Amino acid sequence: MSAPASLALLLSPRLLAARHALRRGGLKPVLLTAVTLAFWIGCFVLFTRVLTFFQTVTALGPLLTQRLLIVVLLSFLAILLISNVVTALTTFYLAADVGRLLVAPVTRRRLHQARFVETLVSSSWMVLLFGLPVFLAYGAVHRAGPLYYAAALATLPPFLVIPAALGVLVTTALVLVFPARRAREVLVVATVALAAAAYLALRLLRPERLASAPELAGLAAFLAAFEAPASPYLPSTWAAEVLIPLLGERAGEPLFYLGLLASTAAVLYLASAAVVERVFLRAWSRAHEGRVRSGGERRLTRALRLAAAPLPRVPGLLLAKDATIFLRDASQWSQLLLLLALVVVYVYNFSVLPIDDASPLAHTLRDVVTFANLGLAAFVTASVAVRFVYPAVSLEGHSWWILRSAPVPLATLWWSKFWIAFLPLAVLGEILLVVTGRFLGASAGLTLVFMATLLLVIAAIVSLGLAFGAAYPRLDTQNAAQIATGFGGVVYMVTCLGLIAVVTALEAWPVSRLFWHRFAHTPLATAEAVLTAGAFASVALLTLTAWALARRSALRNLPRLVP
Amino acid sequence: MIRCVALRKAYGALVAVHDLDLEIAPGEVFGFLGPNGAGKTTTIRMMVGLLEPSSGSVLLGGHDLARAPEAAKALLGYVPDQPYLYEKLTAMEFLRFVGGLYAVGHAELEERSHDLLEEFGLRDRADELIETYSHGMKQRLVLAGALVHRPKILVLDEPMVGMDPQGALELRRLLGALAAAGITIFLSTHSLGVAEELCDRIGILDRGRLIALGSLSELRARAAERPARGARDASLEAVFLRLTAHDGEHRA
Repeated sequence: MSAPASLALLLSPRLLAARHALRRGGLKPVLLTAVTLAFWIGCFVLFTRVLTFFQTVTALGPLLTQRLLIVVLLSFLAILLISNVVTALTTFYLAADVGRLLVAPVTRRRLHQARFVETLVSSSWMVLLFGLPVFLAYGAVHRAGPLYYAAALATLPPFLVIPAALGVLVTTALVLVFPARRAREVLVVATVALAAAAYLALRLLRPERLASAPELAGLAAFLAAFEAPASPYLPSTWAAEVLIPLLGERAGEPLFYLGLLASTAAVLYLASAAVVERVFLRAWSRAHEGRVRSGGERRLTRALRLAAAPLPRVPGLLLAKDATIFLRDASQWSQLLLLLALVVVYVYNFSVLPIDDASPLAHTLRDVVTFANLGLAAFVTASVAVRFVYPAVSLEGHSWWILRSAPVPLATLWWSKFWIAFLPLAVLGEILLVVTGRFLGASAGLTLVFMATLLLVIAAIVSLGLAFGAAYPRLDTQNAAQIATGFGGVVYMVTCLGLIAVVTALEAWPVSRLFWHRFAHTPLATAEAVLTAGAFASVALLTLTAWALARRSALRNLPRLVP
Repeated sequence: MIRCVALRKAYGALVAVHDLDLEIAPGEVFGFLGPNGAGKTTTIRMMVGLLEPSSGSVLLGGHDLARAPEAAKALLGYVPDQPYLYEKLTAMEFLRFVGGLYAVGHAELEERSHDLLEEFGLRDRADELIETYSHGMKQRLVLAGALVHRPKILVLDEPMVGMDPQGALELRRLLGALAAAGITIFLSTHSLGVAEELCDRIGILDRGRLIALGSLSELRARAAERPARGARDASLEAVFLRLTAHDGEHRA
């Protein structure tokens, strides 16, 4: 069989699976295409606007254009590097079909080629999605000739191959040092920690300061002052050096840098092929070694068992089991780092709000934010619920038979899952509300009303999470992040947002009246008091109805969950 | 001890199990045979409460599985065809969890878990995560989990798949001992030798219908009534092939 034919054969399972998914996807592919197109157009318009503005800044314009391109390319390179390392670990060493290919008469070279292409495509499509409108916007604003577009097209393949080859090399080295399961944990934790750190760093830079300058001048000043690491050794710099001269910004040697990109990509690709061909079997064997529990893990398990002991039998058992599995799965517990970053940023946002002075504007802003805080705290808990509550049913996965064949009523299982999710979420939401309420100087009465509302909303959110989790189960994966980003996860999030919107809308009027009377130091009129009580009662009725309907839906769908 | 009354499962137009009537006495070892796709696993899943029947009912120890599921399931130990477990737990933790679900007392559970792990050759690896176990080891752990609460009824779906010869032999001995202790065993298997050796009665399911039911000698007599190509063998294999051969098909 010829080389292209055998490569196509090795890639065919993925291509066929993608084709089947498209055919059976119903409206999903159409929706996805519409969202992608909207995103592309949005990106294109945004970058066109920014670049057009830069052209009006006569002295700094070219510098800003270049800086922005370098920053964008550098971000792409960083994302590609991380994404390729993580993807290569799965495609080369953890995918279930690698074993089948190893026993087939397939050369290591061909295996490397097929898996390399798979890694490249899986890791790079997102960057392509983001990148194309950016490059198009640069071309459109600078009225670039066909040579620019040709160069952009020629730059992309080596720019994508370089991080893919580096990803394969790093992954192979990691697997040779750690067993793959451990390597995956190291990678997952490192990636999540990096994301959390980047999120924190970005927020603590206080980008809102940029908004104080008129129009986009703030961004321009920020970019001009930003020391972008345009190191001559970085492929992102080389890619920028290919494109900038062709935009007519300044003279350069695009052909040289394109050659540099292409030759580096070729060398790294060949290096990854040579390494994989030589050590693949050893690395793959290491990838399937297990590990024994450490002493620390044993102590943790014992502590969890003790903590669950006072609870009723089934909730206690499920809590101990779920918590043990959660803390042993790096892809799950590492999400707590992101959660922590989210909480820090949330609280920090309130601490830097300009509401300290006694001006009427500061007063109004404080009242508005105090009210918005309810919706925001509910939104944060909904985001956390999508990641931790919605996957709870799916994570039982193929082991669902253990619970279903046991003499435990389905309602008890539901209540156990409910309390396990509700209590930590309620604690998180209430703490956020109280701490930020103190920054805002919210009155104790109002804080209590908001706390009660939030409790009801969280109960509904948790119940909805279990209902949507049972309606859209993903028993084929143990990756909670993957489960959360599925179709059901998106519908669940949209439903939660709808609920939060209605609840905040219902409370908006009575709260605004309460604010007004506090400001005017006047008592609430009887009619107003009745309407206010009615509005709060409607909120209670709405959330409790959502909770009950969701519970009924979950109990109806759970028995149909057959692995 | 196990009673299926007009048990039926339909998926739209496809009927996987047709109005199955079956009664298994206490202490009986019942072999459930049938070609692939005959509906054995669907029947078993309805019997253990994993799948809701389209119609009909299942009674375990006199308890209707639909009306008193907890009382019925408390009598049951179930070994599925695929040993899916909580991969991030250890064997000991898994047994503690399962025993807890069946409300086994703490001290008894600890003792029973240790005994079962010893019996199934998992004692040395009791503290390792299940994700590191081989298929056969997981299969043995599932068995241990099914026995941890001393069930009155044991339902096994293809328990020999993935077991090494030593494991399979030990399982046969164990099933013999459990049957001698009066436990009702419902065994779905493709291993006709095992069914021949252990089962008091055998039921053969084909295309969702119970086409034969009785002791091995009764099945032999029934098979003898059917025309057969080739030698007239009296083994269960020959009986099975003859009874499940469809018109125009040469399966023997």
